[in-house]
Amino acid sequence: MKGKYAAIATLAASSLVMACVSSQGQTSSLKTSTGITGGEVTFNRDIAPVVFKYCSPCHRPGEAAPFPLLNYEDTAKFARQIAYMAEKRIMPPWLPVPGELKLQGEMRLTDAQIALFKRWAETGAPRGNPADLPPAPVFVQGWQLGKPDLVLRARKPYLLAPTGSDNYWNFIFPTQLAGTHWVKAVEIRPGEKRVVHHANVLVDRMHSSRHQEKHPGDGFAGMELRIESETFDPDSHLFFWKPGSIPHEEPPGMALRLDPGDDFVLNTHLQPSGKSEEIEPSIGLYFTKQPATKFPMLLELQNDKALDIPPGASDFVVTDEFTLTTDVDLLAIYPHAHYLGKELRATATKPDGTMLTLILIPRWDLNWQAVFYYQQPVPLPKGTVVVMRYVYDNSEANIANPFHPPQRVLGGNKTTDEMAHLWLQVLPRGTEEEHEMARRSLQEAVARHDIARDPGDFAQQYNLGAILQASGNAVEALEHYRAAVRLRPQDPVANNALGGALLALGDANAALGPLRIAVKSQPDYFPAHYNLGNALASLGQFHEAAEEFQKAVRLRPDDSMAQANLGGALAESGDLLAAQRHLEMAVQLDPKNNVAQENLAEVKRLRANGRNP
Amino acid sequence: MFCCGTRGNLVRFVVWAILAAFPLGLLHAQAGAAPKGVVNLSGQAVDPFHQTSGKVIVLVFVRTDCPISNRYAPTIQEISGKYKDRAEFYLIYPVKSETTEQIKQHLKEYAYSLTALRDPDYALVKRAQTLVTPEAAVFSADGKLLYHGRINDWYAEFGKARRAPTTRELADAVAAAVAAKPVTTPSEPAVGCFLPDKP
Repeated sequence: MKGKYAAIATLAASSLVMACVSSQGQTSSLKTSTGITGGEVTFNRDIAPVVFKYCSPCHRPGEAAPFPLLNYEDTAKFARQIAYMAEKRIMPPWLPVPGELKLQGEMRLTDAQIALFKRWAETGAPRGNPADLPPAPVFVQGWQLGKPDLVLRARKPYLLAPTGSDNYWNFIFPTQLAGTHWVKAVEIRPGEKRVVHHANVLVDRMHSSRHQEKHPGDGFAGMELRIESETFDPDSHLFFWKPGSIPHEEPPGMALRLDPGDDFVLNTHLQPSGKSEEIEPSIGLYFTKQPATKFPMLLELQNDKALDIPPGASDFVVTDEFTLTTDVDLLAIYPHAHYLGKELRATATKPDGTMLTLILIPRWDLNWQAVFYYQQPVPLPKGTVVVMRYVYDNSEANIANPFHPPQRVLGGNKTTDEMAHLWLQVLPRGTEEEHEMARRSLQEAVARHDIARDPGDFAQQYNLGAILQASGNAVEALEHYRAAVRLRPQDPVANNALGGALLALGDANAALGPLRIAVKSQPDYFPAHYNLGNALASLGQFHEAAEEFQKAVRLRPDDSMAQANLGGALAESGDLLAAQRHLEMAVQLDPKNNVAQENLAEVKRLRANGRNP
Repeated sequence: MFCCGTRGNLVRFVVWAILAAFPLGLLHAQAGAAPKGVVNLSGQAVDPFHQTSGKVIVLVFVRTDCPISNRYAPTIQEISGKYKDRAEFYLIYPVKSETTEQIKQHLKEYAYSLTALRDPDYALVKRAQTLVTPEAAVFSADGKLLYHGRINDWYAEFGKARRAPTTRELADAVAAAVAAKPVTTPSEPAVGCFLPDKP
């Protein structure tokens, strides 16, 4: 044993000699590039400014990093390791390489800074002249954006087991606000930061995630969170946390609408630490009085269907491209793949032929995925072709490969599946009216693009139906809702949409079937009970209609329209006393509910005339 | 830009070169003498090599603030539990600045039931040729170093963990040693937190 090491040590020594020759060649250029003239690299003059800026924000008590790097003693203790991590660009964690577009919060060391760390470690980590030391960094304690207007706390902590691989857990945060609020920022406090790798927040207006919980407040497992809503109302905000990130504050006019009863759902990526950990996240909401006037949207390029990666393949390429149907400003980008992702790239080719690299991540690492905001909005004219090009490595050489030995991997939502997604947050240009049209045209183009590639894409069939219905094209909308129902015959949301669309076209009879499937599939699905009540009422079946509205009202006692329609159906069934009670409730909930006002007046008149006790 | 670091092999060379900076003579000279400065959590001097049970000796080096060695806690506990009748396992805390209180708290948090020793002067570090935490060393009952290096290949690099390890160097080495078979497990460098350059 010992002999073997002795031999290696000798070999290493000769390597080092050669190494020094080559590094000395670089040293002279280093001096000019960093302005070091004295030769010695010291903590106070050279290292502290870099450490304070790039390391201390996370390497301090209460933050994600395992040990503090706040002063000379902290840093000198790890001098060799810091040099190693910096040189390999493991720390600070920052995936994209610099390109022509500047990103916010870039955490990338220059080659010269890395050289400083190396020389400092090699020369015994000298402290230097106290006069050179910059002031210690000052950090905001607690909430980074100040006291939130509203804090939502997890109803039940998640207990993370000490061992195992990566873990994904979702928390639902119900909101109980009176009236609509406008959210300009969401600050995520993920709980024990040392085990949380990243976290995303989505808005769930239809409580579509709640049925995934065994008991209310439990939360649920799952890597990919998909919120489906029955109206076409995409929430195109990216609320994201990663270690060291400062919460993003939306510019004026771009706040998120929050309606009473909306849920937030927090998706967390956790890594076991060796001991049991209680994860108890909270989110802070910051409101603005200024309602949204600009509505960004998320364009999603994806090609999961093309993901069928043979075992051993180390350069499996998947692409997607999308042509902009309107002028937009690109605000942020969010590339996403799982553990086989190797190189992720997005480009934009403008109609004049110029090409921009939107993002290039040469060594993808899921652990450090992030939403990237551009320092300046990137104008992209109509006709620009956005291309996503991802390379995957399903070989043994990919350490992150979930399978050993490698296996065939397909696209999907599980951690062992693979994904090829790219989200672009864009703001259509033009006036507010043009804006609305532009949003629809873009979303329609995205849906048609996805369906053309994969008619089995349930979500996009559904979305296209919703967009067409919102544009007044009810007949074509039906076609896509029907396609969605064919793909998922029991899906409550799609069946409800199909039933609702048929109802809107005046075919209450045809609407009954899908609506009955919707309420059966999801008995706590308010819209389906409400629509089924309407369908039955328009067919003159008021007793049955009243039953459905009863169920709707039980699910949402504070919904004025459900109360009003229940009142109406009861009145038609002859129960004027009960009808009056619900109509009064409807008016109380929303004094502007004209239908309820008129029906209430009519019921009162009938009762006064002695038609009913 | 600089020479070493882009190619994996060279990094390993650098590591061994640092090793060579320790006086090699110590590896032998200490065989008979009690390792300097090694104490238990009550502050009493302990020599893990001075024992009469004739058991194999296993040292596992950890620190309280190293996320990689902490993630290994259940694995370390599991291997030691399996062989505790035939091998003496010690958890070694070599970082001088860690207090006894911190170490006691750490043992409790990570549910360790191993004997913990402090090695503030690196006497055991040198004898086991340890460079990072977590790292393990297996000695014969008479104090001969049979294996040192990683516990398994779970981590391939900082931040690069496999879903599950594909090797089990420490368990293999202990199994061979307690069976009095030759330990043929090749010593693979461990991935983990560098020990401070000086004790």
